[in-house]
Amino acid sequence: MSSRGPLFAENLVVERGISAGDAWVTVEPGNIRAALQSLKDDGYRLLVFLTCVDHLADASRKWPGRYELVYQVRDMESKDTIRVRAFVDGDPPRIDSVHDLFPPANWDERETYDLFGVVFSDHPELTRILMPDDWVGHPLRRDYPVGGEVVEFSEEHKIWQTAPEDA
Amino acid sequence: MSETEGVTITKTGAPGAFGGELLTVNFGPHHPSTHGVLRLIVDLDGEQIRRVKPVIGYLHTGIEKQMEALRWQQGVVVTDRHDYLSPPINNLAYALAVERLMGVDVPPRAQVLRVIMSELTRLSSHLVWMGTSGLELGAMSMLMYCFRERDTILDMNEEISGFRMHTSYIRPGGVYADATPRFLEMLEGFIYAMPGHIDEYENLLTMNPIWRSRTIGIGRLSPDDAKVLGATGPMLRGSGVDWDLRKAVPYSGYESYDFEVATSDDCDCYGRYLVRIKEMREAVKILRQALDKLPDGPVNVDDRKMLPPPREELETSMEAVIHHFKLFTEGYSVPPGDVYVAVESGRGENGCYVVSDGTHKPRRVKFRAASFVNLQALERMALNHMVADMIAIIGTADAVLGDVDR
Repeated sequence: MSSRGPLFAENLVVERGISAGDAWVTVEPGNIRAALQSLKDDGYRLLVFLTCVDHLADASRKWPGRYELVYQVRDMESKDTIRVRAFVDGDPPRIDSVHDLFPPANWDERETYDLFGVVFSDHPELTRILMPDDWVGHPLRRDYPVGGEVVEFSEEHKIWQTAPEDA
Repeated sequence: MSETEGVTITKTGAPGAFGGELLTVNFGPHHPSTHGVLRLIVDLDGEQIRRVKPVIGYLHTGIEKQMEALRWQQGVVVTDRHDYLSPPINNLAYALAVERLMGVDVPPRAQVLRVIMSELTRLSSHLVWMGTSGLELGAMSMLMYCFRERDTILDMNEEISGFRMHTSYIRPGGVYADATPRFLEMLEGFIYAMPGHIDEYENLLTMNPIWRSRTIGIGRLSPDDAKVLGATGPMLRGSGVDWDLRKAVPYSGYESYDFEVATSDDCDCYGRYLVRIKEMREAVKILRQALDKLPDGPVNVDDRKMLPPPREELETSMEAVIHHFKLFTEGYSVPPGDVYVAVESGRGENGCYVVSDGTHKPRRVKFRAASFVNLQALERMALNHMVADMIAIIGTADAVLGDVDR
Protein backbone atom coordinates (compact mmCIF):
# COMPACT_ATOMS: atom_id res chain seq x y z
CA MET A 1 0.00 0.00 0.00
CA SER A 2 2.85 2.32 0.79
CA SER A 3 3.77 4.52 -2.13
CA ARG A 4 6.49 6.50 -0.38
CA GLY A 5 10.16 6.11 -0.97
CA PRO A 6 12.70 5.60 1.80
CA LEU A 7 10.64 5.88 4.93
CA PHE A 8 12.61 6.46 8.05
CA ALA A 9 15.96 5.80 9.65
CA GLU A 10 17.18 3.31 7.08
CA ASN A 11 19.98 2.08 9.32
CA LEU A 12 17.38 0.49 11.64
CA VAL A 13 15.84 -1.68 8.95
CA VAL A 14 17.03 -5.28 8.94
CA GLU A 15 14.73 -6.57 6.24
CA ARG A 16 11.85 -5.21 4.21
CA GLY A 17 9.26 -6.60 1.88
CA ILE A 18 5.65 -6.68 0.78
CA SER A 19 3.25 -9.36 1.90
CA ALA A 20 -0.04 -9.61 -0.02
CA GLY A 21 0.16 -5.89 -0.80
CA ASP A 22 1.12 -4.72 2.71
CA ALA A 23 4.53 -3.10 3.12
CA TRP A 24 6.56 -4.25 6.10
CA VAL A 25 9.96 -3.74 7.67
CA THR A 26 11.78 -5.73 10.30
CA VAL A 27 13.82 -3.99 12.98
CA GLU A 28 15.95 -5.21 15.87
CA PRO A 29 13.81 -5.50 19.04
CA GLY A 30 16.14 -3.10 20.85
CA ASN A 31 15.45 -0.44 18.22
CA ILE A 32 11.67 -0.68 18.27
CA ARG A 33 11.16 2.62 20.08
CA ALA A 34 13.57 4.46 17.81
CA ALA A 35 11.91 2.98 14.72
CA LEU A 36 8.38 3.81 15.82
CA GLN A 37 9.43 7.28 16.97
CA SER A 38 10.91 8.05 13.56
CA LEU A 39 7.81 6.68 11.84
CA LYS A 40 5.65 8.85 14.05
CA ASP A 41 7.74 11.91 13.17
CA ASP A 42 7.30 10.90 9.55
CA GLY A 43 3.52 11.21 9.84
CA TYR A 44 2.46 7.70 10.83
CA ARG A 45 0.58 8.91 13.88
CA LEU A 46 -1.98 6.15 14.31
CA LEU A 47 -1.09 2.77 15.74
CA VAL A 48 -3.78 0.60 14.20
CA PHE A 49 -2.97 -2.46 16.24
CA LEU A 50 -0.15 -4.19 18.02
CA THR A 51 -0.02 -7.92 18.41
CA CYS A 52 2.20 -10.95 18.58
CA VAL A 53 2.55 -14.10 16.49
CA ASP A 54 4.00 -17.26 17.98
CA HIS A 55 6.20 -19.05 15.42
CA LEU A 56 6.73 -22.19 17.47
CA ALA A 57 7.33 -25.10 15.06
CA ASP A 58 6.51 -22.98 12.02
CA ALA A 59 8.25 -24.60 9.07
CA SER A 60 7.08 -22.14 6.41
CA ARG A 61 10.38 -20.24 6.62
CA LYS A 62 13.35 -19.64 8.89
CA TRP A 63 12.31 -17.30 11.71
CA PRO A 64 14.80 -15.13 13.60
CA GLY A 65 12.90 -15.64 16.85
CA ARG A 66 9.89 -17.41 18.28
CA TYR A 67 7.75 -14.36 19.04
CA GLU A 68 7.07 -11.85 16.33
CA LEU A 69 5.80 -8.48 17.56
CA VAL A 70 3.73 -6.75 14.89
CA TYR A 71 3.02 -3.00 14.90
CA GLN A 72 0.77 -1.62 12.19
CA VAL A 73 1.00 2.15 11.83
CA ARG A 74 -0.93 4.43 9.53
CA ASP A 75 -0.60 7.94 8.20
CA MET A 76 -4.13 9.29 8.05
CA GLU A 77 -3.17 12.09 5.66
CA SER A 78 -1.60 10.03 2.89
CA LYS A 79 -3.42 6.78 3.88
CA ASP A 80 -0.15 4.87 3.83
CA THR A 81 0.27 2.00 6.22
CA ILE A 82 3.37 0.12 7.20
CA ARG A 83 3.93 -2.89 9.39
CA VAL A 84 6.91 -3.04 11.71
CA ARG A 85 8.06 -6.42 12.96
CA ALA A 86 10.49 -7.33 15.70
CA PHE A 87 11.46 -10.85 16.68
CA VAL A 88 12.12 -11.67 20.30
CA ASP A 89 13.02 -14.83 22.17
CA GLY A 90 13.54 -15.78 25.77
CA ASP A 91 11.36 -16.60 28.72
CA PRO A 92 9.73 -14.24 29.29
CA PRO A 93 10.31 -12.44 25.98
CA ARG A 94 10.94 -8.75 26.54
CA ILE A 95 10.57 -5.61 24.47
CA ASP A 96 10.26 -1.90 25.22
CA SER A 97 6.80 -0.45 25.69
CA VAL A 98 5.58 2.19 23.24
CA HIS A 99 2.50 3.28 25.22
CA ASP A 100 3.85 6.84 25.54
CA LEU A 101 4.39 7.18 21.77
CA PHE A 102 1.00 5.72 20.86
CA PRO A 103 -1.63 5.81 23.66
CA PRO A 104 -3.77 3.01 22.11
CA ALA A 105 -0.79 0.70 22.66
CA ASN A 106 -1.54 0.71 26.37
CA TRP A 107 -4.33 -1.88 26.25
CA ASP A 108 -2.84 -3.67 23.23
CA GLU A 109 0.35 -4.30 25.19
CA ARG A 110 -1.58 -5.51 28.19
CA GLU A 111 -3.48 -7.88 25.90
CA THR A 112 -0.27 -9.16 24.32
CA TYR A 113 1.23 -9.69 27.76
CA ASP A 114 -1.90 -11.48 28.90
CA LEU A 115 -2.21 -13.81 25.93
CA PHE A 116 1.46 -14.34 24.95
CA GLY A 117 3.44 -13.48 28.06
CA VAL A 118 5.52 -10.84 26.30
CA VAL A 119 6.81 -8.39 28.91
CA PHE A 120 6.80 -4.74 27.86
CA SER A 121 9.45 -2.87 29.83
CA ASP A 122 8.30 0.43 31.38
CA HIS A 123 4.61 -0.24 30.84
CA PRO A 124 2.76 1.57 33.65
CA GLU A 125 0.35 -1.22 34.48
CA LEU A 126 1.24 -4.52 32.90
CA THR A 127 -1.55 -6.72 34.26
CA ARG A 128 -3.88 -9.25 32.73
CA ILE A 129 -6.70 -7.61 30.81
CA LEU A 130 -8.84 -10.31 29.20
CA MET A 131 -8.10 -13.39 31.30
CA PRO A 132 -8.86 -13.53 35.04
CA ASP A 133 -6.11 -12.12 37.26
CA ASP A 134 -5.28 -15.52 38.76
CA TRP A 135 -5.00 -17.34 35.43
CA VAL A 136 -1.97 -19.54 34.90
CA GLY A 137 -0.30 -19.54 31.47
CA HIS A 138 -0.66 -17.47 28.34
CA PRO A 139 -3.44 -18.90 26.17
CA LEU A 140 -2.43 -17.74 22.70
CA ARG A 141 0.99 -19.41 22.83
CA ARG A 142 1.05 -22.33 20.44
CA ASP A 143 2.01 -24.81 23.16
CA TYR A 144 -1.07 -23.94 25.23
CA PRO A 145 -3.75 -26.57 24.53
CA VAL A 146 -7.21 -25.81 23.20
CA GLY A 147 -10.05 -27.06 25.36
CA GLY A 148 -7.82 -27.82 28.34
CA GLU A 149 -9.71 -25.72 30.86
CA VAL A 150 -11.95 -27.29 33.43
CA VAL A 151 -15.55 -26.12 33.49
CA GLU A 152 -16.32 -24.35 36.74
CA PHE A 153 -18.76 -26.03 39.15
CA SER A 154 -18.43 -29.35 37.28
CA GLU A 155 -17.43 -32.66 38.88
CA GLU A 156 -14.05 -32.40 37.21
CA HIS A 157 -13.57 -28.94 38.63
CA LYS A 158 -14.15 -30.25 42.14
CA ILE A 159 -11.41 -32.81 41.65
CA TRP A 160 -9.03 -30.27 40.16
CA GLN A 161 -9.59 -27.75 42.88
CA THR A 162 -9.00 -30.24 45.70
CA ALA A 163 -5.59 -30.73 47.24
CA PRO A 164 -3.92 -33.93 45.92
CA GLU A 165 -4.15 -35.85 49.23
CA ASP A 166 -7.96 -35.42 49.36
CA ALA A 167 -8.63 -36.19 45.71
CA MET B 1 -0.95 18.00 24.41
CA SER B 2 -3.32 15.37 25.55
CA GLU B 3 -0.90 12.45 25.32
CA THR B 4 1.23 13.65 28.20
CA GLU B 5 -1.54 14.40 30.68
CA GLY B 6 -2.22 11.56 33.04
CA VAL B 7 -5.14 11.12 35.35
CA THR B 8 -4.44 11.41 39.07
CA ILE B 9 -5.26 8.23 40.83
CA THR B 10 -7.38 9.01 43.84
CA LYS B 11 -8.67 6.94 46.69
CA THR B 12 -11.70 6.77 48.89
CA GLY B 13 -11.33 9.23 51.74
CA ALA B 14 -9.01 11.66 49.97
CA PRO B 15 -10.29 15.24 50.20
CA GLY B 16 -12.37 16.43 47.28
CA ALA B 17 -12.72 19.88 45.79
CA PHE B 18 -16.04 20.67 47.47
CA GLY B 19 -15.12 20.00 51.07
CA GLY B 20 -16.17 16.36 50.98
CA GLU B 21 -14.25 13.16 50.45
CA LEU B 22 -13.62 11.15 47.31
CA LEU B 23 -15.54 7.94 46.94
CA THR B 24 -14.52 4.98 44.79
CA VAL B 25 -17.54 3.29 43.30
CA ASN B 26 -17.79 0.04 41.40
CA PHE B 27 -20.03 0.43 38.37
CA GLY B 28 -21.03 -2.91 36.89
CA PRO B 29 -20.07 -5.49 35.64
CA HIS B 30 -23.78 -6.26 35.57
CA HIS B 31 -25.44 -2.97 34.92
CA PRO B 32 -28.23 -2.40 32.42
CA SER B 33 -26.59 0.67 30.95
CA THR B 34 -23.23 -0.83 30.05
CA HIS B 35 -24.52 -2.90 27.08
CA GLY B 36 -22.90 -6.07 28.31
CA VAL B 37 -20.57 -6.88 31.13
CA LEU B 38 -18.36 -3.83 31.49
CA ARG B 39 -17.02 -2.93 34.91
CA LEU B 40 -15.93 0.60 35.66
CA ILE B 41 -14.08 1.70 38.76
CA VAL B 42 -15.10 5.30 39.23
CA ASP B 43 -13.70 7.83 41.70
CA LEU B 44 -16.36 10.35 42.57
CA ASP B 45 -16.06 13.75 44.15
CA GLY B 46 -19.65 14.37 45.13
CA GLU B 47 -21.26 13.52 41.83
CA GLN B 48 -18.32 14.47 39.65
CA ILE B 49 -16.12 11.88 38.05
CA ARG B 50 -12.43 12.17 38.89
CA ARG B 51 -11.21 8.90 37.44
CA VAL B 52 -12.68 6.08 35.36
CA LYS B 53 -10.91 2.80 35.00
CA PRO B 54 -12.64 0.29 32.74
CA VAL B 55 -12.11 -3.35 33.67
CA ILE B 56 -12.82 -5.67 30.78
CA GLY B 57 -12.52 -9.35 30.00
CA TYR B 58 -15.80 -10.62 31.42
CA LEU B 59 -16.94 -11.70 27.97
CA HIS B 60 -13.64 -13.16 26.79
CA THR B 61 -14.43 -16.26 24.77
CA GLY B 62 -11.04 -17.08 23.27
CA ILE B 63 -12.18 -16.42 19.73
CA GLU B 64 -8.64 -15.89 18.41
CA LYS B 65 -7.52 -19.18 19.93
CA GLN B 66 -10.49 -20.98 18.41
CA MET B 67 -9.65 -19.59 14.99
CA GLU B 68 -6.26 -21.31 15.16
CA ALA B 69 -7.93 -24.65 15.84
CA LEU B 70 -10.40 -24.41 12.94
CA ARG B 71 -9.84 -24.77 9.22
CA TRP B 72 -9.93 -21.67 7.05
CA GLN B 73 -13.53 -22.09 5.93
CA GLN B 74 -14.75 -23.04 9.41
CA GLY B 75 -13.37 -19.86 10.90
CA VAL B 76 -16.11 -17.78 9.25
CA VAL B 77 -18.62 -19.05 11.79
CA VAL B 78 -16.48 -17.80 14.67
CA THR B 79 -15.96 -14.35 13.16
CA ASP B 80 -19.72 -13.79 13.39
CA ARG B 81 -19.57 -13.88 17.11
CA HIS B 82 -17.07 -11.30 18.30
CA ASP B 83 -18.93 -8.14 17.32
CA TYR B 84 -22.32 -9.73 17.61
CA LEU B 85 -24.21 -6.72 16.28
CA SER B 86 -22.49 -6.71 12.89
CA PRO B 87 -21.74 -10.30 11.83
CA PRO B 88 -21.60 -9.79 8.02
CA ILE B 89 -19.06 -6.98 8.42
CA ASN B 90 -16.84 -9.24 10.53
CA ASN B 91 -17.21 -11.96 7.90
CA LEU B 92 -16.25 -9.47 5.24
CA ALA B 93 -12.99 -8.48 6.98
CA TYR B 94 -11.99 -12.12 7.36
CA ALA B 95 -13.05 -13.10 3.86
CA LEU B 96 -11.18 -10.19 2.28
CA ALA B 97 -8.04 -11.08 4.25
CA VAL B 98 -8.11 -14.73 3.17
CA GLU B 99 -8.85 -13.73 -0.42
CA ARG B 100 -5.94 -11.26 -0.46
CA LEU B 101 -3.58 -14.00 0.73
CA MET B 102 -4.88 -16.43 -1.89
CA GLY B 103 -4.96 -13.82 -4.63
CA VAL B 104 -8.63 -14.41 -5.41
CA ASP B 105 -11.09 -11.86 -6.79
CA VAL B 106 -14.77 -12.44 -6.22
CA PRO B 107 -17.31 -11.92 -9.03
CA PRO B 108 -19.11 -8.54 -9.30
CA ARG B 109 -22.47 -9.86 -8.14
CA ALA B 110 -20.92 -11.17 -4.94
CA GLN B 111 -19.27 -7.79 -4.35
CA VAL B 112 -22.58 -5.97 -4.60
CA LEU B 113 -24.31 -8.52 -2.37
CA ARG B 114 -21.53 -7.99 0.17
CA VAL B 115 -22.12 -4.25 0.10
CA ILE B 116 -25.86 -4.78 0.53
CA MET B 117 -25.34 -7.01 3.55
CA SER B 118 -22.76 -4.63 5.06
CA GLU B 119 -25.06 -1.65 4.80
CA LEU B 120 -28.05 -3.56 6.17
CA THR B 121 -25.88 -4.56 9.09
CA ARG B 122 -24.69 -1.02 9.65
CA LEU B 123 -28.34 0.05 9.78
CA SER B 124 -29.32 -2.68 12.21
CA SER B 125 -26.30 -1.97 14.40
CA HIS B 126 -27.13 1.75 14.55
CA LEU B 127 -30.77 0.91 15.25
CA VAL B 128 -29.80 -1.19 18.26
CA TRP B 129 -27.53 1.61 19.40
CA MET B 130 -30.24 4.25 19.05
CA GLY B 131 -32.91 2.12 20.69
CA THR B 132 -30.85 1.23 23.74
CA SER B 133 -29.22 4.65 24.15
CA GLY B 134 -32.62 6.29 23.88
CA LEU B 135 -33.97 3.93 26.49
CA GLU B 136 -31.14 4.77 28.88
CA LEU B 137 -31.60 8.50 28.53
CA GLY B 138 -35.34 8.38 29.06
CA ALA B 139 -36.72 8.14 25.52
CA MET B 140 -38.43 4.85 26.25
CA SER B 141 -40.36 4.52 23.01
CA MET B 142 -37.20 4.66 20.86
CA LEU B 143 -36.55 1.00 21.55
CA MET B 144 -39.92 -0.02 20.10
CA TYR B 145 -39.49 2.03 16.93
CA CYS B 146 -35.89 0.97 16.34
CA PHE B 147 -36.43 -2.71 16.97
CA ARG B 148 -39.43 -2.69 14.63
CA GLU B 149 -37.16 -1.80 11.70
CA ARG B 150 -34.35 -3.99 12.95
CA ASP B 151 -36.71 -6.93 12.84
CA THR B 152 -37.31 -6.30 9.15
CA ILE B 153 -33.55 -6.47 8.62
CA LEU B 154 -33.34 -9.71 10.59
CA ASP B 155 -36.15 -11.11 8.41
CA MET B 156 -34.07 -10.25 5.38
CA ASN B 157 -31.02 -11.94 6.92
CA GLU B 158 -33.14 -15.02 7.43
CA GLU B 159 -34.38 -14.94 3.87
CA ILE B 160 -30.92 -14.68 2.31
CA SER B 161 -28.83 -16.82 4.65
CA GLY B 162 -31.17 -18.88 6.82
CA PHE B 163 -30.02 -17.20 10.02
CA ARG B 164 -31.38 -14.12 11.70
CA MET B 165 -28.29 -12.91 13.54
CA HIS B 166 -25.11 -14.90 12.96
CA THR B 167 -25.46 -15.16 9.23
CA SER B 168 -21.99 -16.39 8.13
CA TYR B 169 -23.19 -15.12 4.78
CA ILE B 170 -19.94 -13.66 3.45
CA ARG B 171 -17.22 -16.28 3.07
CA PRO B 172 -13.81 -16.50 1.46
CA GLY B 173 -14.51 -16.96 -2.24
CA GLY B 174 -17.88 -15.24 -2.39
CA VAL B 175 -21.12 -15.44 -0.49
CA TYR B 176 -23.18 -18.32 0.84
CA ALA B 177 -25.99 -18.18 -1.69
CA ASP B 178 -27.51 -15.93 -4.28
CA ALA B 179 -30.19 -13.44 -3.25
CA THR B 180 -33.68 -14.87 -3.64
CA PRO B 181 -36.31 -12.87 -5.56
CA ARG B 182 -38.19 -12.50 -2.29
CA PHE B 183 -35.12 -10.96 -0.64
CA LEU B 184 -34.82 -8.38 -3.40
CA GLU B 185 -38.51 -7.61 -3.04
CA MET B 186 -38.13 -7.15 0.73
CA LEU B 187 -35.09 -4.96 0.18
CA GLU B 188 -36.98 -2.82 -2.30
CA GLY B 189 -39.76 -2.27 0.23
CA PHE B 190 -37.27 -1.58 2.99
CA ILE B 191 -35.40 1.04 0.97
CA TYR B 192 -38.71 2.70 0.14
CA ALA B 193 -39.89 2.82 3.76
CA MET B 194 -36.68 3.44 5.68
CA PRO B 195 -36.15 7.21 5.01
CA GLY B 196 -39.58 7.85 6.50
CA HIS B 197 -38.68 5.82 9.55
CA ILE B 198 -35.46 7.77 10.02
CA ASP B 199 -37.52 10.98 9.90
CA GLU B 200 -39.67 9.44 12.60
CA TYR B 201 -36.64 8.83 14.85
CA GLU B 202 -35.44 12.35 14.23
CA ASN B 203 -38.86 13.73 15.17
CA LEU B 204 -38.56 11.88 18.45
CA LEU B 205 -35.00 12.83 19.32
CA THR B 206 -33.28 15.56 17.31
CA MET B 207 -35.18 18.51 18.76
CA ASN B 208 -36.31 16.75 21.93
CA PRO B 209 -35.31 19.08 24.80
CA ILE B 210 -34.53 16.25 27.22
CA TRP B 211 -32.39 14.41 24.69
CA ARG B 212 -30.59 17.61 23.76
CA SER B 213 -29.88 18.67 27.32
CA ARG B 214 -28.54 15.24 28.16
CA THR B 215 -26.23 15.00 25.15
CA ILE B 216 -25.15 18.49 24.05
CA GLY B 217 -21.80 19.42 25.59
CA ILE B 218 -21.51 16.03 27.26
CA GLY B 219 -18.51 13.79 26.65
CA ARG B 220 -16.42 16.21 24.63
CA LEU B 221 -13.63 14.62 22.64
CA SER B 222 -11.52 17.06 20.66
CA PRO B 223 -10.40 16.04 17.14
CA ASP B 224 -6.78 15.87 18.32
CA ASP B 225 -7.66 13.67 21.27
CA ALA B 226 -9.76 11.40 19.11
CA LYS B 227 -6.90 10.91 16.66
CA VAL B 228 -4.27 10.43 19.35
CA LEU B 229 -6.40 7.91 21.23
CA GLY B 230 -6.95 5.93 18.04
CA ALA B 231 -10.71 6.32 18.02
CA THR B 232 -12.43 5.30 14.78
CA GLY B 233 -15.92 5.27 13.35
CA PRO B 234 -18.66 7.59 14.63
CA MET B 235 -16.44 8.46 17.61
CA LEU B 236 -13.87 10.00 15.29
CA ARG B 237 -16.35 11.45 12.81
CA GLY B 238 -18.42 12.88 15.66
CA SER B 239 -15.29 14.87 16.51
CA GLY B 240 -15.21 16.39 13.05
CA VAL B 241 -12.52 14.22 11.47
CA ASP B 242 -13.40 13.18 7.95
CA TRP B 243 -12.17 9.58 7.99
CA ASP B 244 -14.11 6.62 6.67
CA LEU B 245 -12.42 3.47 5.44
CA ARG B 246 -15.05 3.08 2.75
CA LYS B 247 -13.70 6.31 1.21
CA ALA B 248 -10.09 6.23 2.41
CA VAL B 249 -9.21 2.63 1.55
CA PRO B 250 -12.16 1.41 -0.54
CA TYR B 251 -12.93 -2.31 -0.58
CA SER B 252 -15.63 -4.41 -2.26
CA GLY B 253 -16.26 -1.68 -4.83
CA TYR B 254 -17.25 1.08 -2.38
CA GLU B 255 -15.42 3.56 -4.60
CA SER B 256 -18.19 3.26 -7.20
CA TYR B 257 -20.98 4.34 -4.83
CA ASP B 258 -22.02 7.91 -4.35
CA PHE B 259 -22.28 8.70 -0.65
CA GLU B 260 -21.08 11.26 1.84
CA VAL B 261 -19.01 10.73 4.95
CA ALA B 262 -21.07 11.89 7.90
CA THR B 263 -19.16 14.18 10.22
CA SER B 264 -20.15 16.57 12.97
CA ASP B 265 -18.09 19.34 14.53
CA ASP B 266 -19.97 19.17 17.82
CA CYS B 267 -17.40 16.75 19.31
CA ASP B 268 -19.95 15.65 21.94
CA CYS B 269 -22.56 12.94 22.45
CA TYR B 270 -25.05 14.88 20.34
CA GLY B 271 -22.53 15.09 17.50
CA ARG B 272 -22.05 11.34 17.56
CA TYR B 273 -25.82 10.92 17.46
CA LEU B 274 -26.07 13.19 14.42
CA VAL B 275 -23.29 11.24 12.71
CA ARG B 276 -25.13 7.97 13.19
CA ILE B 277 -28.40 9.41 11.90
CA LYS B 278 -26.62 10.73 8.81
CA GLU B 279 -24.87 7.39 8.33
CA MET B 280 -28.20 5.62 8.33
CA ARG B 281 -29.47 7.91 5.59
CA GLU B 282 -26.28 7.35 3.59
CA ALA B 283 -26.62 3.58 4.10
CA VAL B 284 -30.09 3.68 2.55
CA LYS B 285 -28.64 5.67 -0.35
CA ILE B 286 -25.94 3.03 -0.89
CA LEU B 287 -28.54 0.24 -0.71
CA ARG B 288 -30.60 1.99 -3.40
CA GLN B 289 -27.58 2.25 -5.71
CA ALA B 290 -26.48 -1.32 -5.01
CA LEU B 291 -29.92 -2.71 -5.77
CA ASP B 292 -30.12 -0.71 -9.00
CA LYS B 293 -26.79 -1.94 -10.29
CA LEU B 294 -26.89 -5.53 -9.01
CA PRO B 295 -25.26 -7.37 -11.94
CA ASP B 296 -26.13 -10.88 -13.05
CA GLY B 297 -23.66 -13.70 -12.81
CA PRO B 298 -22.14 -16.11 -10.33
CA VAL B 299 -21.80 -15.26 -6.64
CA ASN B 300 -18.77 -17.44 -5.97
CA VAL B 301 -15.34 -17.90 -7.47
CA ASP B 302 -15.13 -20.83 -9.82
CA ASP B 303 -12.43 -22.66 -7.89
CA ARG B 304 -13.07 -26.23 -6.82
CA LYS B 305 -10.06 -26.07 -4.48
CA MET B 306 -11.74 -23.37 -2.43
CA LEU B 307 -15.48 -23.97 -2.63
CA PRO B 308 -17.43 -27.23 -2.93
CA PRO B 309 -18.81 -28.32 -6.32
CA PRO B 310 -22.56 -28.03 -6.93
CA ARG B 311 -24.63 -30.92 -5.63
CA GLU B 312 -25.71 -32.21 -9.03
CA GLU B 313 -22.11 -32.60 -10.22
CA LEU B 314 -21.36 -35.03 -7.41
CA GLU B 315 -23.53 -37.68 -9.06
CA THR B 316 -21.79 -37.61 -12.41
CA SER B 317 -18.19 -36.55 -11.82
CA MET B 318 -15.58 -38.49 -9.88
CA GLU B 319 -13.38 -35.40 -9.77
CA ALA B 320 -16.15 -33.45 -8.06
CA VAL B 321 -16.46 -36.17 -5.43
CA ILE B 322 -12.72 -36.00 -4.76
CA HIS B 323 -12.81 -32.22 -4.46
CA HIS B 324 -15.79 -32.41 -2.15
CA PHE B 325 -14.08 -35.01 0.03
CA LYS B 326 -10.80 -33.10 0.21
CA LEU B 327 -12.54 -29.85 1.04
CA PHE B 328 -14.60 -31.26 3.89
CA THR B 329 -11.86 -33.38 5.43
CA GLU B 330 -8.68 -31.38 5.00
CA GLY B 331 -9.90 -28.00 3.78
CA TYR B 332 -7.80 -25.76 1.58
CA SER B 333 -4.44 -24.32 2.44
CA VAL B 334 -3.48 -20.68 2.10
CA PRO B 335 -0.03 -19.56 0.88
CA PRO B 336 2.31 -18.43 3.68
CA GLY B 337 2.25 -14.74 4.46
CA ASP B 338 0.34 -12.21 6.48
CA VAL B 339 -2.20 -9.58 5.61
CA TYR B 340 -4.22 -6.92 7.36
CA VAL B 341 -7.60 -5.89 6.00
CA ALA B 342 -9.76 -3.25 7.63
CA VAL B 343 -13.41 -2.56 6.93
CA GLU B 344 -15.69 0.11 8.32
CA SER B 345 -18.23 -1.35 10.72
CA GLY B 346 -20.91 0.53 12.61
CA ARG B 347 -18.41 1.07 15.39
CA GLY B 348 -15.27 1.95 13.46
CA GLU B 349 -12.31 0.16 12.00
CA ASN B 350 -12.97 -3.55 12.15
CA GLY B 351 -9.76 -5.17 11.04
CA CYS B 352 -8.57 -8.68 10.58
CA TYR B 353 -4.89 -9.58 10.66
CA VAL B 354 -4.30 -13.06 9.32
CA VAL B 355 -1.04 -14.98 9.36
CA SER B 356 -0.75 -18.18 7.36
CA ASP B 357 2.04 -20.72 7.61
CA GLY B 358 0.89 -22.54 4.50
CA THR B 359 -1.19 -25.17 6.24
CA HIS B 360 -4.95 -25.72 6.25
CA LYS B 361 -5.40 -23.80 9.51
CA PRO B 362 -4.45 -20.19 10.27
CA ARG B 363 -1.30 -19.58 12.29
CA ARG B 364 -2.79 -16.48 13.88
CA VAL B 365 -5.93 -14.42 13.42
CA LYS B 366 -6.12 -11.11 15.20
CA PHE B 367 -9.26 -9.03 15.22
CA ARG B 368 -8.64 -5.33 15.50
CA ALA B 369 -11.76 -4.47 17.47
CA ALA B 370 -13.00 -0.90 17.14
CA SER B 371 -14.77 -1.01 20.51
CA PHE B 372 -11.59 -2.14 22.28
CA VAL B 373 -9.73 0.96 21.16
CA ASN B 374 -12.68 3.34 21.44
CA LEU B 375 -13.28 2.30 25.03
CA GLN B 376 -9.84 3.64 25.98
CA ALA B 377 -11.16 7.13 25.21
CA LEU B 378 -13.87 6.75 27.84
CA GLU B 379 -11.84 8.33 30.61
CA ARG B 380 -10.97 11.35 28.50
CA MET B 381 -14.66 11.89 27.73
CA ALA B 382 -16.11 11.23 31.16
CA LEU B 383 -13.68 13.22 33.30
CA ASN B 384 -15.31 15.97 35.43
CA HIS B 385 -18.79 15.07 34.24
CA MET B 386 -21.64 14.03 36.50
CA VAL B 387 -22.01 10.33 37.06
CA ALA B 388 -25.39 10.33 35.28
CA ASP B 389 -23.75 11.77 32.18
CA MET B 390 -21.49 8.75 32.03
CA ILE B 391 -24.52 6.74 30.89
CA ALA B 392 -24.82 9.00 27.87
CA ILE B 393 -21.09 8.76 27.24
CA ILE B 394 -20.93 4.96 27.41
CA GLY B 395 -24.03 4.86 25.25
CA THR B 396 -22.66 7.04 22.47
CA ALA B 397 -19.26 5.31 22.57
CA ASP B 398 -21.27 2.27 21.43
CA ALA B 399 -18.89 -0.39 22.68
CA VAL B 400 -20.00 -3.94 22.06
CA LEU B 401 -18.47 -5.97 24.83
CA GLY B 402 -18.20 -9.10 22.73
CA ASP B 403 -15.99 -7.09 20.42
CA VAL B 404 -13.96 -5.62 23.28
CA ASP B 405 -13.22 -8.95 24.92
CA ARG B 406 -13.31 -11.29 21.90
